[in-house]
Amino acid sequence: MKKTLLWSCLAAALPFVAGGCATKAHYIQTGGRESVVSVNSINIQDYIQAADKMTGELLASGALDKVSNPPAVLAISRIVNNTGAQIDTDLLTKKIRVALLNSGKAMTTTTMGLGGTAEDPMAKGLQQEAEFKADQKTTRTPDFTLSGKIIQTIARSGSTSQSTYSFQLSLTDPKTGLAVWEGEKEITKQGEKASVGF
Amino acid sequence: MKMRILLPLAGAALLAVTGCRTSMNTIENAQKEGQRQMISDSRVITDSSLARKVSFVGLNQSMTPGGLLKVQLELLNNKRSLQSFSYRFEWFDASGMLINNVASPTVSDQIEGGESKFISAVAPNPACKDFRVKFIEN
Repeated sequence: MKKTLLWSCLAAALPFVAGGCATKAHYIQTGGRESVVSVNSINIQDYIQAADKMTGELLASGALDKVSNPPAVLAISRIVNNTGAQIDTDLLTKKIRVALLNSGKAMTTTTMGLGGTAEDPMAKGLQQEAEFKADQKTTRTPDFTLSGKIIQTIARSGSTSQSTYSFQLSLTDPKTGLAVWEGEKEITKQGEKASVGF
Repeated sequence: MKMRILLPLAGAALLAVTGCRTSMNTIENAQKEGQRQMISDSRVITDSSLARKVSFVGLNQSMTPGGLLKVQLELLNNKRSLQSFSYRFEWFDASGMLINNVASPTVSDQIEGGESKFISAVAPNPACKDFRVKFIEN
């Protein structure tokens, strides 16, 4: 009887002990070594890596320098998501835009977007008002458009699951319709499938 | 009796383990057309274990057509086994101030046994004059 009571008390106390030993929530460096790596989804460090590599290649190519009136004006076109998850492609493109702006090589238009939808509708409205008052077009036609695709490729072998995320970007000269720069970054992650669960 | 069984098994296990380690052979043109602009470097080694495994061979730099500093670092894996590490580039302006780069990742990478590998990066803007590369073992 006493033993049963003792074991019952220990069993009841165990969850509290385990919970107290659990890792508390804490801050980590975004995209750093402590970041969680998920095989079946794109992590923030993947976006950062892809954006950094492709921005570096774009800047090194000199494609943005070949404009008559620098810095180049860039418009963001369609970035297709071909992965199995719903993602916001701004997680990639915004980093590239900020890096390009900080480089002094390109500026992105926020009043011109895909399907006529402006990223900043208020700026677009004010711009149109200014053009109406001045009776002349002040909108600068983009020198380049940036489009791309994010693709997920899955492979499995036994209990090992592998996902490759391909980040593909193209910089197009709208006057000729030709891609003046293209870049691709592939990030592959591998892990063991959990023995229990999904 | 036990030793008669265990000793050959241990020997076989040792052979199996060493046999799994493969290192890289390379071949390249002896008379180079390209000239690398090597630069002197300053090293701070706090992880001698990583330094023994993956050593820095040299640094060279160039300028992109757009006036951006491009840096290339050659690494050498002194071991016969695959080594994993992470690295990160930092950039400084002419005043020695760190330039905050929104897309400045910590990159995880691997180098095969005996492999000589290049990693490179382009400065985020023309104001970058100096750089630093940080390495840590995974």
